[in-house]
Amino acid sequence: MLKLILYRLLQGVLVLLVISFLIFALLTRAGGDAVSMLDNPRGSDESIENIRRIHGLDRPLMERYRNWLAEAARGDLGHSFVLHAPVLSLIRLPLLRTGVLATVALLIAWAISLTLGIAAARRAGSPIDRLCSVIILLASSTPGLALALLALALISSTPLMNVIGATTNSSVGVWSFRVIPPAIILSVPLLALFLAQTRVAIREALDEEFVCVARARGAPEWMVLLRHALRPAAGPLITIFGLSLGGVMSGSVIVETVMGWPGLGQLTVSAVETRDIPLLLGVTLTAAAAVMAGNLAADILQRLNNPRLRNG
Amino acid sequence: MTPSESKDGDRTTPGKNQSAIRNPQSAIRNWLRGRGALLTGASILTFFCLIAVFADLLAPYNYSSLSRREPFAPPATIRFRDAQGRWHARPFIYARRLVDPVTERYEEIMDRAYPLELFTRGYSYELLWLFPTDLHLFGARAEAGVEVPRVYLLGADKFGRDCLSRLLMATRYSLLIGPTGALLASALGVLIGGAAGYVGGWTDAVLMRAADMMLALPTLVLILAVRVTFPPGLAPADAIKLLLIIFVLLGWAEMARLARGLIRELRQREYVMAAVSLGCSPAHVIVRHILPGAAMSLAAQTLIILPAFLLAETALSFLGVGLQEPEASWGSLLTSVESNLFKRGHALAEFSPALAITLFVLGARLFGDGLGKEGREREKILGVADRKSA
Repeated sequence: MLKLILYRLLQGVLVLLVISFLIFALLTRAGGDAVSMLDNPRGSDESIENIRRIHGLDRPLMERYRNWLAEAARGDLGHSFVLHAPVLSLIRLPLLRTGVLATVALLIAWAISLTLGIAAARRAGSPIDRLCSVIILLASSTPGLALALLALALISSTPLMNVIGATTNSSVGVWSFRVIPPAIILSVPLLALFLAQTRVAIREALDEEFVCVARARGAPEWMVLLRHALRPAAGPLITIFGLSLGGVMSGSVIVETVMGWPGLGQLTVSAVETRDIPLLLGVTLTAAAAVMAGNLAADILQRLNNPRLRNG
Repeated sequence: MTPSESKDGDRTTPGKNQSAIRNPQSAIRNWLRGRGALLTGASILTFFCLIAVFADLLAPYNYSSLSRREPFAPPATIRFRDAQGRWHARPFIYARRLVDPVTERYEEIMDRAYPLELFTRGYSYELLWLFPTDLHLFGARAEAGVEVPRVYLLGADKFGRDCLSRLLMATRYSLLIGPTGALLASALGVLIGGAAGYVGGWTDAVLMRAADMMLALPTLVLILAVRVTFPPGLAPADAIKLLLIIFVLLGWAEMARLARGLIRELRQREYVMAAVSLGCSPAHVIVRHILPGAAMSLAAQTLIILPAFLLAETALSFLGVGLQEPEASWGSLLTSVESNLFKRGHALAEFSPALAITLFVLGARLFGDGLGKEGREREKILGVADRKSA
């Protein structure tokens, strides 16, 4: 287990290095940094060059990357050009908010897909099974963007707006009821993914001989389902959970921007709009690191669930 | 990922085919059985392709021509009965006047009716990029000496541009970027996955680790980061090229995994080993002996990942870093949808880009599922035992 964690950490650092270097390398051939977005007609070329020099933007690529890396290694991701604050302090709260959003969304998706999936797996072709097929098809083809816009319009036409509506207030608490609508929207594509997987996995598990034996032994149906079928089915479910995390992070960009939840996604978009490169780098790396941490957690869960993997 | 349903597994039994030869009608019915999803999906996709090709013909006005006096005009009311209560065979509209610019309230001017007609003259374009013409499917009939009002079937946007025309042209862009991206990414994926699956060993390990990492990354965040490193205002052609390159570089992983799994399994087949032992080159073996067996599944997978590309383009355009104004894509049209959607009274027209996206994705999904089923059956015939591991 320790070997796995160490290996994954090494891998993660490698990925982050590659991503940060790629973005740095692309920047050299790009026209336009945050300074070019200041766009002040009264600023002379000279003073603009001065600002570039102060921020070290006139240095060659490798030197800038080396400096950035040296500071990042000490836990200093630099200073935002636009918001004039250390990147790390800007990221902390939004990261927590996105964490809450993703957790709630995942909980919703799992709760629904486990309940419906188990019910559907018990009898193929039953009304619930067919309902599941429809839900999977609809949930997987409805774009989150459209759903988010629709939900926003629905909420803002009701008095609920003040409790769960969108907010632009960046000081909103990490725990707030306002997380509920974006979480529901974010959970829709996950629901399709999880429900399809649950249905197949549980159905396969129910066909196994040990389920037959458990039933023959007279074990109650709930015990057969939860103890005998769910345990082997959990393997593929954990795998799909790990794979879905990148999508959760991508989805949160849209959902947070549209529905007003000031998390990491919203911060990414604002960094993009202002071309705030240090902030953007920080946000991208944080998002990647968060997803990889989630993947590591999924791997550990997988090994806890399946003893055969533990010594691998 | 999609559950396999095998209730129509008897489609390929030889007995049925024999009776089908005698009776062509039942042959068609036999073929159609279990292919409902495939056909529905195919017709939806065809519908959108036709729209994309004939967008200029279908659009009554140029998608970027402004009508400053008509910002946020609601959808036109097509009438058959005039103010005096008389009925007309030919539908007509009334001209409208902006009464209150704050609430965007319009009033119809009932003095004069403007009849609609099919195949009117409008702006010039090239039909099928070949024939210069100015024919448009419908519009208000032109009359000498009179300024004919514009027909807004879906209303107008804040600059008074016709939303229907913009939606039609947006279909063209969205259908160019999403599917092309998916196709190119699939090609790269098959190439990488094929190399990994065929060569195996060290190459396989490195490539598949890389694919695993790509799959785990938050793609949209990365796309945004890469997009920012390019200048904000790109010409449409450059923006499309850039989006495609980003999509291909970040989207190959899923396809590579599937292709690797398929190729590793098909490699074990006797006919492939026979080809190898005859001394065929790897390229020949892959192209002539392995890919035909895997083609259907690979095509299905392309269709399954297609929505992701379409949605990524939509998201980027929505966030303002995809195509730039005045060009339109489904995503950039959605930026005008605001939270007062239901108060304005024409929510459906305003929400039509989102409906178009949903319908298209649904079509791709149905078609992909249908193709996947075909592929699984073909593999069953070819004797691919169990692809659970792929």
